[in-house]
Amino acid sequence: MTMREELERPGEVKIIFFPYGKREWFPKGEVTILDAARALGLDLSSLCGGRGTCGKCKVRIDQGMDKLPPLTEQELKHITEEEMKSNYRLACEIRPENSTVVYVPERSRIGKQRLQTEGLEVPIKQLNPYVGKYFLKLPKPTLHDHRSDEDRLLTALNEAYGLSTDLAIDFDLALDLGSKLRKKNWEITATIWKNKIIDVEPGDTSDRCFGFAVDIGTTKLAGFLMDLKTGKVVAVASRMNPQIPLGEEVMSRITHQMMEGWDGVKELQTVVISGINEMIEECCEKADVKTNEIYELCFVGNTAMQLCFLGIYGRYVAFSPYPPVLRRGVDIGAARLGLKSHPAANSHFLPVIGGFVGADNVAVILATRMLESDEICMALDIGTNTEIALGNKDLVLVDSCASGPAFEGMSIKHGMRAATGSIERVSIEPDTFDVNFRTIEDEKAVGLCGSALVDVPAELFKTGLIDWTGRINSELAKETKRLRKGPDGWEYVIAWQPETATDTDIVISQGDVRELQKAKAAMRTGAGILMKRMDVTENDISKLYMAGAFGNYVDPENARTIGMYPELPLEKVVFVGNIAGTGSRMCLLSREEREYAEKISTTAKYYELAADKDFQEEYINAMYLPHKDLSKYPDTVELLRKLGRLP
Amino acid sequence: MGKEEEIFGRMGQAVIVGDLEEVTKATQDSIDAGFEPWKAITDGLAKGMEVVGEKYQSKEYFLPEVLISSEAMYAGLDLLLPLLKEAAGGQREKVVIGVVEGDIHDIGKNIVKAMLTAAGYDCIDVGRDVPTPDFIETADGEKAKVIAMSTMMTPTLLSMKDVEEELDKRGLKGEIKTIIGGGTVTEEWKSKIGSDAYGKDAVQAVDKVKILFEEIKTALELARKAREG
Repeated sequence: MTMREELERPGEVKIIFFPYGKREWFPKGEVTILDAARALGLDLSSLCGGRGTCGKCKVRIDQGMDKLPPLTEQELKHITEEEMKSNYRLACEIRPENSTVVYVPERSRIGKQRLQTEGLEVPIKQLNPYVGKYFLKLPKPTLHDHRSDEDRLLTALNEAYGLSTDLAIDFDLALDLGSKLRKKNWEITATIWKNKIIDVEPGDTSDRCFGFAVDIGTTKLAGFLMDLKTGKVVAVASRMNPQIPLGEEVMSRITHQMMEGWDGVKELQTVVISGINEMIEECCEKADVKTNEIYELCFVGNTAMQLCFLGIYGRYVAFSPYPPVLRRGVDIGAARLGLKSHPAANSHFLPVIGGFVGADNVAVILATRMLESDEICMALDIGTNTEIALGNKDLVLVDSCASGPAFEGMSIKHGMRAATGSIERVSIEPDTFDVNFRTIEDEKAVGLCGSALVDVPAELFKTGLIDWTGRINSELAKETKRLRKGPDGWEYVIAWQPETATDTDIVISQGDVRELQKAKAAMRTGAGILMKRMDVTENDISKLYMAGAFGNYVDPENARTIGMYPELPLEKVVFVGNIAGTGSRMCLLSREEREYAEKISTTAKYYELAADKDFQEEYINAMYLPHKDLSKYPDTVELLRKLGRLP
Repeated sequence: MGKEEEIFGRMGQAVIVGDLEEVTKATQDSIDAGFEPWKAITDGLAKGMEVVGEKYQSKEYFLPEVLISSEAMYAGLDLLLPLLKEAAGGQREKVVIGVVEGDIHDIGKNIVKAMLTAAGYDCIDVGRDVPTPDFIETADGEKAKVIAMSTMMTPTLLSMKDVEEELDKRGLKGEIKTIIGGGTVTEEWKSKIGSDAYGKDAVQAVDKVKILFEEIKTALELARKAREG
């Protein structure tokens, strides 16, 4: 139960596809999963055309498996025993009689999800990781020098590098320390994390010191293999967060914990760690690094991701006033979490701020250097949850709102996540009401992704197809056949069926416009309330950082036209990409940055939006396009007046 | 058109467009003309809110319009309710309404409250993040037969379950009926926790509450007949 959905329709079953996030009703027992995927224009691969012979259309059934008939003969030929255990089936062989949740794995997809990983590069204060490797030549023991192996090592480290002679030795390392020291004639490399020797290798391996930085997003994971000697990124990987089928947004994930108890807690943790391990292996393969050359890992994510990753029961975080369980950064052995890395590697989850504003936002504040700036800055990290930070060196306030689901295509009839074939840009001709659109990789249209879902309301508004309350102007149905009455009320055709890879026209309905209004109003309210509480006006803000993959593709002017953010001159808008990932990398490379992260987590103040006395009023006013109070949008108003859209 | 019809029409129209000034004027005109206050509510203000509800359901109206119309309706009610209390038979059925424990999102609850008030119910608003016992004790103390609960978040769905269990524990289940609704609530959840009704939106919530009160009435009738043998 992740979001409000129609649960039953007589004679029909609902099929939901992940990671696309597309869903539709189909006649019960008649349509194969492959047919359904095709009807929705999804890129599920099949070479044999659905005859069950090629085995390319393997999918995982995440819900409804128990209601499916046993494997067919064709399936038994292609599905391995291991896959059977994980509920894999051939999409062309099964016709669901009940509603089903299907996960299409990467290898069964033709196209690609677009997962942005890059973020603005920010210089770190100092390349000074907690992990270091030290090459040493030890004196051999003699009759006159019969010190223990341990003392010999500690003294040498102290003499050569000035390290403390109090360093601890990881006990597992002691088991075979003797052989390691002697193997290459007393030439060794010691690996030290903080004040502990975690490894000793024969010979000189001091140039092989790696770390892994991760941004755990509610929807996307991004991983960076880093060379800790040079501070450079050596490989990058990304994945959809495999927790998605267990809940599409943060609250549903925690609900999964609550409903399933410890099994649910464990399940969420296991799947995300397996996703991270896949990224680690992918990066290591690309860069020719062994996983046990990774000595530290650094993680960021919102508070719910922190709980789910660490396997902490989050029930009480989900209830107002949303107190986190742990605020400070967490150090925990990577082996204990099952992460593929050196057995004694440390994993560090950066501190959180409060509520659902977590380590990812600490990373944003860190990397934008907001808390060191004289001038007032605002940062919008747009994801499934949007976090908003406002302030300067004197004070930074942060809040968060659930904005993403609509812009990630959930609850939008033809919405989807950014992937091959999704419409990413839309413009509407003011005279003819014709639509121009562009799809990712110029494939036939499948659905509308986030950036298009900003363009559409802005274009509808500029052309007068909707008014400032968001209402569709049905009068214009006389002018264009794109505006029509559909099964769910008024709708506008963005792409005609022949332009699509699906079996229907791609439309935006009045209901969709309402969902987008709610989402944009939530973000605008988050910004507006912080401005009010800090007594800051648009003129006081010197920079608006737009972070997150979505923020990178969105048209800033259209976003401003619908009032997603306060009206600032566009030149003040700075796109910083996945800056949470940047912050995670910085804290992996530098202990000064990591200490600074701790400071941010106590200096930046969490503000609970929904508890503000003006919340309802602000939120309702922000539903209008661009805003009820037009004086807040002088430039936009001027543009709209020229187009004759506002009185 | 009779004068009464004309004034009630003006009241309804003022609610639909959310004109605070006009609704106050029209309501005052109705009072000055000596029309029945309950009739001014049902045939004037409530008629207007009914149209607002329809427009909201068809998505022609959105949250801002509904809230503005509700404000207009409350402005009219403020003038009429005191008169209603003076008049005989002015008893309205009571509904305890609030957002369950752990959640503070109350816009949806406010809209349902407005719709229920327009439909003639006396809403006792217990607010948001309401502790489980408060719902029950308020209903018990006020002799309200229906509790309406809302939540927008998923984890707080469980707080609804808590209320159901608490009602059961106190032996009030069935005697006090419940209706649930809000962003994450579904018909399935209603069945799962044994709530008496689920309202998909504010308009449906009103219809379901009406049915609940009919059921209560029928049950009372039956009990009375049984007593009389």
